Amino acid sequence: MISSRRTVLKGLGGAVSLPMLESRARAANLPSKVPTRFLVVGNPFGAHPDNFFPADFGKDFTISPTLESLNWLKDRMTVISHTDHNMVSGHGREISFLSGVLPSDAQAFPEKNLSIDQLFARHVGSQVRYPSVGAAIDGGIRMSWTANGVEKLPITDPQKLFDHLFLNLTAEEKAIRKEMYSRNRSILDTVGSRFADELKNASKLDQERAEQFETSLRELERSFSDRSTWLDRDKPSYDITDHFSQSEVTIANRYDAIFDMIAYAFQTDLTRVASVEFPASLSYTDIDGVNRSYHGCTHNGRQEDLVSELVAIESFQIARLSRCLRKLDSISEPGGEGSMLDHTIVLFGSGMGYGGTHSNRDLPIMVAGGGFKHLGHVDARDNSGKNMPLCNLYVTLMQRFGIERDKFNTSTGRFDLDFAGV
Amino acid sequence: MQRILAPAVLIAMFFGVSRVDADQALLRAHCAKCHGGKQPKGDFELTALGDRPTKDNVDLWEASIDYVIAEEMPPAKQSRLSADDRKRIASFLQQGVRQYNRQSNESKRIKPRRMNNREFENSVRDVLLIEDVGTHLPTDNLIGDSLHNGFDTHGDTLGFSMFHLEQYVEAIRKIVDATIISGTAPQPQRYEIAPTEIISAHTSANITRAERPGLPGGFDFLDPARRAYFKSFKEAPETGFYNITIRCTGKDRGVYDASETGIYADDPIRLSVQLGARERVYDLPDEEVIEIKMREWVAAGSSLRLQYPTDGLRMRGNGNFKFQNAITGEYLKEHDPDRYAKVVAAIKTPKSRRVKSVDSWHHWVDDWMGARPRIFNAVVEGPFYETWPPQRQVALIGQHPQAVNAEAILKPIAQRAWRRDVRAGELEPFVHLVQSKSDNIGDVEALKEGIVAILASPPFLLLNRDELAPQERFAAKLSYFLQSTIPDEELRKSVAAGKLDSFAGVRQEVQRQLDQSKLEPFLRAFPFGWLELNDINFMAPDPDRFRHYHRKRVSEDMVDEALHFFRYMVEQNRPVSEFISADYSFINADLAKVYGADGVPQDSEFRRYTFSDGKRGGLLGMGAFLTVTADSLGTSPIHRAIYVMENFLGLHPSPPPADVKIEEPDVRSAKTIKEILEAHRSEETCAACHRAIDPYGYAFENFDPMGAWRDEYLVEVSATDSNTKRKAAKPETIPIDASAGFQNGSEYENIHGFRKLMQNDANRDRFVRCFITKLLTYANGEEPHDYTEINDILAKSAENDYRIVDTIAAVIDSPLFREE
Repeated sequence: MISSRRTVLKGLGGAVSLPMLESRARAANLPSKVPTRFLVVGNPFGAHPDNFFPADFGKDFTISPTLESLNWLKDRMTVISHTDHNMVSGHGREISFLSGVLPSDAQAFPEKNLSIDQLFARHVGSQVRYPSVGAAIDGGIRMSWTANGVEKLPITDPQKLFDHLFLNLTAEEKAIRKEMYSRNRSILDTVGSRFADELKNASKLDQERAEQFETSLRELERSFSDRSTWLDRDKPSYDITDHFSQSEVTIANRYDAIFDMIAYAFQTDLTRVASVEFPASLSYTDIDGVNRSYHGCTHNGRQEDLVSELVAIESFQIARLSRCLRKLDSISEPGGEGSMLDHTIVLFGSGMGYGGTHSNRDLPIMVAGGGFKHLGHVDARDNSGKNMPLCNLYVTLMQRFGIERDKFNTSTGRFDLDFAGV
Repeated sequence: MQRILAPAVLIAMFFGVSRVDADQALLRAHCAKCHGGKQPKGDFELTALGDRPTKDNVDLWEASIDYVIAEEMPPAKQSRLSADDRKRIASFLQQGVRQYNRQSNESKRIKPRRMNNREFENSVRDVLLIEDVGTHLPTDNLIGDSLHNGFDTHGDTLGFSMFHLEQYVEAIRKIVDATIISGTAPQPQRYEIAPTEIISAHTSANITRAERPGLPGGFDFLDPARRAYFKSFKEAPETGFYNITIRCTGKDRGVYDASETGIYADDPIRLSVQLGARERVYDLPDEEVIEIKMREWVAAGSSLRLQYPTDGLRMRGNGNFKFQNAITGEYLKEHDPDRYAKVVAAIKTPKSRRVKSVDSWHHWVDDWMGARPRIFNAVVEGPFYETWPPQRQVALIGQHPQAVNAEAILKPIAQRAWRRDVRAGELEPFVHLVQSKSDNIGDVEALKEGIVAILASPPFLLLNRDELAPQERFAAKLSYFLQSTIPDEELRKSVAAGKLDSFAGVRQEVQRQLDQSKLEPFLRAFPFGWLELNDINFMAPDPDRFRHYHRKRVSEDMVDEALHFFRYMVEQNRPVSEFISADYSFINADLAKVYGADGVPQDSEFRRYTFSDGKRGGLLGMGAFLTVTADSLGTSPIHRAIYVMENFLGLHPSPPPADVKIEEPDVRSAKTIKEILEAHRSEETCAACHRAIDPYGYAFENFDPMGAWRDEYLVEVSATDSNTKRKAAKPETIPIDASAGFQNGSEYENIHGFRKLMQNDANRDRFVRCFITKLLTYANGEEPHDYTEINDILAKSAENDYRIVDTIAAVIDSPLFREE
């Protein structure tokens, strides 16, 4: 039924044939509609405001230096000024980027500091092989958090990401893996049969941590059982060697490989939620004109040469994303209308406003794709001049993702961004 | 209960109601004017204190006591409060808090927490009775722990998820697999390694050109960033003992000048042999061949790597070793003109290439004569076993382990792992697991499953659970506090026998552990967390302006200095106050260069050094503190002030409100940081807090971002017109003003005066109280809240001249640690 689409794709790291869609071919009960996906890209230090935020508002805004590489998408994106989580200044609060809630305040929220990507992943559940995929190089920025208030770490090596997403095991390896899953399940069974009741009935003092343990036991058991089932089905095959063929591999190559793998994982419905992080610890000196550490560049003391290094790093991040969005836009949605980008909600941003001032106000936020009626550059302040809670945007994204809720963590309403339909 | 109520009753009887009213009136008279009305200063309203402390405002009471005693509130300049009345207010506040603490029903019990990765490795090691978790990096998969204010033991920060559990199971499995081996003993093999089969590995897997092998005369270690491997023994094929013999020597020590190479002529040439995370380092004699002989238990799949450990050879260009080769040309030109001429004559430039000057490093690679280890050959032989099954396996599960004996075999393991006695019938599910698997996978493999299950259980992975009996909990807690692992048999027995019920008993136990070198984990992890040393390069000094810092990895020396100092304090049982008052520290030649210290031997060894200039010594002069609090280009008195307040004085200034507009530092401006802050302080909302904060930081302005002394600021006048490309003008200089005054009227001119003020009685008590609080935070995994109990520990510490071992013992003996 989908053989007409299984044509040869060019540009995806060599020629590969489009395999059967992962989740749909799984069984006869095909999903009735085309999936909506979510891609979020984050950094730990925000953006140099003068270079990130366009100088003028409205649909016809002028693209800013940092966003230059997205000029081709100018009519189909929304840059939001004056939105944040109302956090005091300083490092460490950027980890609330996707939740609006710091871990230390998480107890006050029923879903702790659940991040929006993990809410989406939970919604997708076992419909796909991987409910979400997180990737970075070198380290993460702590932006993904589960409803238990526990950090979800990204895969920090392109090769490991490749193995995770696309490496198919031999029959023998599969048998070993299966045996391991089964042994591990017996171990969890044993631990559960001795301790599950005790954990459930823990004293008031122990309750919280006991619950975490008990939930982990249960979830891991289910995960092993899911994985055993998936193990029998081959993953789509993919080739990323193109990115690594030069004698020196740059961080651009490595990030492009990550983004290509995610695009392909979207295309084959291996996953529907992906996050990519640009950490503080990574050396960006591959980029032309960058000689210092990322963090060092943010504290530039307004020296022009250092500011331009910082803007080079921030533009680099946007350029990697832009390349990925072009790719998503060049592929027609499998089994649907429009391009894959029209079905993928894209969010770029940070939980820090600007590292140079340690300010956590006025976060740099950009939304693209997702089939929205995009608005250009928007001033999100209300009539009294107050900044918009960023969680209002998340309510909008959540509703577009198909989750019928009108509240997310610290939201006070929704951001007006309409779905245009595809 | 009677004991708890007694003081409250006494107070009421002694003072009567009217006395309390009078105290309240005194407080109002001297505080309400500023801390009332529409815009109360410091965002603190006196009425928030109420009549007596409650759960919600007790922290305000405690902060008020501190301000009043330190004479910072009411501020000396604006207040006519007499010394007697000040004492009266302080004691009124203290009594209130004491009464609140004594009557409070708040439990002192601490929530359980997940053990961190460090504790996990140590604990698995000690449960399985092995030397370390293994040479195959079995814990590399673990999810990294996040820190909280520097500490890795913070309960709320150590989350637990299915991802953690899965990685634990995987890691445990790998460790157990390298400890218990089923089947028959593999035959040993002998690997003779010629120098040409020793290969210098690339630092990245992404480089495709060939790797450099040794020459027939020997393998030389040139670039310290590269590790070498044996071609025929890249990794161990089987688990077991391996005998490793390496014939080697140290070459050419001191031929090149230390200022060129960064290698001190007096430092021995070393060789590091690395089996996974297990590293052995040997000093090699100069030009004399020795045989290093090792016998190591190596897990299958472990890699064997060799390296020249030095912080030198990164002195030129971007720190890449290859640029150093140019030294050879310079050296030969001066010392061996004939050889120099020969090399120069042999230089040929292919037509297609650009001509490189004779000084260029490219021509001198083959003639390198820097200090280096040389290996002539090596032999690896193994695996060997003293017995079969191996001794470690026998020690753990016995000579002939059978599934039918699973309960007896697993019981002692579970007892160690769970840090308590095993209850009747409790192991039944584990025994069942072993017996149900044994038919399929054999008895030994099935027992391994049982061990993995024991270690994947909550009583192993979660510390301080409610189910533990008080004595079991105390023994485990003490052991994790000081040793980051399960309690040893001796400790459990001592606790059970009641030997640690008193301060004297605890004091003796801490000394026993110190004497037996069991305190190592504490001596490293506690100061590392307390001083937030993990962040030292979060904002490293600028590489172009502070080259020495980067070229000699000075941050590592700075961390080592702090750890050396802390170790000395504990080993010599010095008074806690000496962290501040000491005029000495532990430095090597690299640090001496930063500190401008004379007469330090030119090598990397740390030695005690007394600073006669009055500027350094103790924590306040340490590069680690001065660097971790600085930006890469400039310094911030506020960062340093907050660090001093939070980590040394136990004061917690509130962060600026979210809507405050923060001025971005501008290093192009000729304004000093002080002038910028003065401008910031002209806004009254900011001023109230900054008057209290800034004086703790100005004193350090004479220390630059790397902690070196400076008398003036350099202002970087960058060329504003980038088109002209003209060289930046000579930097302007501005004299530094490192003076400031506190709200209590005391003032200082510079670091000398500041250091004196930090040693007065009020600040000494603040420091010791802060130190006690940090110890409790590290030990409990959460911050202590009982002011009165902390004061009692402080009193106990004072009784013992603030001696550090006694202070640690007082913390352990406190109800806050005992959770009673």
